[in-house]
Amino acid sequence: MWFFLRNTGGHMMKVKVRFFARFRELLGTDVIVEVGERTTLPDLIKQVTQKNVEGYNAIFDEHGHFREYVILMRNAKRIDIADAAMNIVADGDDVAVFPPVAGG
Amino acid sequence: MFSERERERYKRQMMLFGDEGQERLKKAHIFIAGAGGLGSPVSIYLAVAGIGTLTVVDRDVVDQSNLNRQILHYDRDIGRKKTESAEEKLCAINPDIRIRVIDTTIEEKNAGDLVGKADGIVDAMDNYPTRYLLNDVSLRKKIPLFHGAICGFYGQATTIIPGQTACLACIFPKAPPKEVFPVVGVTPGLIGMVQATEVLKYLLKRGELLTNRLFIWDGIQAHADEICIERNPRCTACGSFCETPGDI
Repeated sequence: MWFFLRNTGGHMMKVKVRFFARFRELLGTDVIVEVGERTTLPDLIKQVTQKNVEGYNAIFDEHGHFREYVILMRNAKRIDIADAAMNIVADGDDVAVFPPVAGG
Repeated sequence: MFSERERERYKRQMMLFGDEGQERLKKAHIFIAGAGGLGSPVSIYLAVAGIGTLTVVDRDVVDQSNLNRQILHYDRDIGRKKTESAEEKLCAINPDIRIRVIDTTIEEKNAGDLVGKADGIVDAMDNYPTRYLLNDVSLRKKIPLFHGAICGFYGQATTIIPGQTACLACIFPKAPPKEVFPVVGVTPGLIGMVQATEVLKYLLKRGELLTNRLFIWDGIQAHADEICIERNPRCTACGSFCETPGDI
């Protein structure tokens, strides 16, 4: 499933966001999003989830912070959610967002 | 040494790894934490493969709602201790191995003693607090931890070698909220097979282990993903246990 989200103005970059497990059910599998320069990781995920209340709420808390168990990967590298806001996305980035599953 | 019966039983897999490999399995002791959705397929397949000693720990009794996935337990076992049910089935599946069952809750005070000198720990739990206890024991005793978890049609697995790979707390520093998770039996079946395969490969010293990689299965899409993971220099669990915390 592919979605294309478009922003306007400035130099646009294409970034791929992949969701897993429950996040995937709510938000789809892969999203290609165009974002402006200086877009941070939280901005990116908020942009992708803004029109999906349930999806947004699964990933962000009431203060707009990543829920503490959310796992973020950027180009196969783990990004601590505490450092996410310091990460500026670049053209061609592959961002993965997933919740650990718990059952056995 | 193998009896004639054992040679016949393991004939087809000894074509793969010979007497030496089968001997490694026979000498091994694997600790399986949980006799539920993951613990059932893991213990059955490790039993038929001829792991010499299997210890299975669980605290629950069999409930009707377990039976869509916990294939060690049958309808007639409802109300029975899972450990008792597991022991009966596993001994019947392979009488040439030793099955130890312990009916208890894994807690901080007993986790290390329960695991003892096992050669590997299989995480077949359904909650992160107990998984973190197993992770601590794994790190402290330098025993590999074979992680698996599932929800619905989704599953994940990884293999943790203490001191060498990311530990469970590096990968999942915070537990997701506790919930009654939906599940269909095929998902723990599949993830359990990944874990059991990892155990065999580790014991046989064969192939590439699922280390520093998180295997993610999406049964709905029939798609497997893999995410590279690395040790977290700020990990609260493995920083103090690993001999070489600087080599990250």
